Amino acid sequence: MSATREAFVLPLLFLTVTLLAGVRVGAAVALEPPSLFALVLGTLLLGTLVRSGALAPARLLHGARPMAANANGAVVLVTLFLSGAQVLAMLTPRSGLPLFFVDVFLFVLLLNTLVAQPDRVRLLRSLAVIFGSALVLKFVVLASLSSPGGSRTTRVLVALFDAATFGTIAQEPQTSGAGYLAFAAIALFLAGIAALPSARPYTESTALQPSPPR
Amino acid sequence: MREPTLRAAGLATSLAYAAAIAWLYTTQPQNVAQVTGGFASIVGVYKVEPQAFADGLRFFRANQFPEARAALLRADPAERDAQVQFYVAYTFYREGWGRLYNDDALFAKGLVAVDKAIALAPAGRLVVDDADLQMHSADELRAELQRGVTRDASDFNPLRVFGTRK
Repeated sequence: MSATREAFVLPLLFLTVTLLAGVRVGAAVALEPPSLFALVLGTLLLGTLVRSGALAPARLLHGARPMAANANGAVVLVTLFLSGAQVLAMLTPRSGLPLFFVDVFLFVLLLNTLVAQPDRVRLLRSLAVIFGSALVLKFVVLASLSSPGGSRTTRVLVALFDAATFGTIAQEPQTSGAGYLAFAAIALFLAGIAALPSARPYTESTALQPSPPR
Repeated sequence: MREPTLRAAGLATSLAYAAAIAWLYTTQPQNVAQVTGGFASIVGVYKVEPQAFADGLRFFRANQFPEARAALLRADPAERDAQVQFYVAYTFYREGWGRLYNDDALFAKGLVAVDKAIALAPAGRLVVDDADLQMHSADELRAELQRGVTRDASDFNPLRVFGTRK
């Protein structure tokens, strides 16, 4: 990995993700730190990246490396952890049953991925699917169920749904910008983890090959 | 560029960016003016707009409190000046004060503003030398606003109607 990527690109990218994913756009703009559970999920995510070989910590922190290189590596690891936790916190609904179920869903999914130990490419695909589904669930499905706008019929249906579920599903209304911010944060995060130093450096032999004909 | 220099520059940039993000999380600015003003005040180049401040004081002395607040907030868009925030709190006090009852909503906003002023003042001590005011320190103003929003037996004292606005 080049020094520029390790010293500038990755830390700045992960810090930007930490900032974007922390923004909560509502009646007022607020920056929310990750919850304790998001930190636990962030730790699982970091463990999964290491186990799958998508991240080789020894290529960031090692006794044989110069001190400045190790300092850069430590910054990459810390910012990766913080941004991962913040992305997971951003994708978690804020209240009610969706909060509980999405937390359980993410925990089980990350734990399962950690144990299954997929290779780097499969892990990256799996994370894209996990983050994408959580994004759709929170910023499309739940947001539309909690939207105060729309026609009178929509508002009546939303009110009926809210009453039928005892208010356990509906979330605080969000502005449309929140979804776009979340999308940008996820895209940057996935780009960042794809650019991490992996356990198996890219060579001709490790490149993706077309499947052999059956 | 040599690699050690590049790495040191990267480290410094990352730490500065992380510090800026930590500052944003701590101060929770609500608009771009507060962000830019906050960073400007950190490096010591933030200044209150003198003309808008003078307008604010003129409106304040003429008992035009919403106009005064608009001018004062224009003078200090980032809400980083203790004296301006003191006057903003004072406008809420004077507008909310009543002979029979106080406007709790305005007093609550005044408390927020005076707390901001105290937080911005060096060592939390703020004294404004203005002959038009009867309360010169932020502590007095805060206590008066706090008394205004507190419900107690003195609220039902009929002699309250002889009280004066400070």
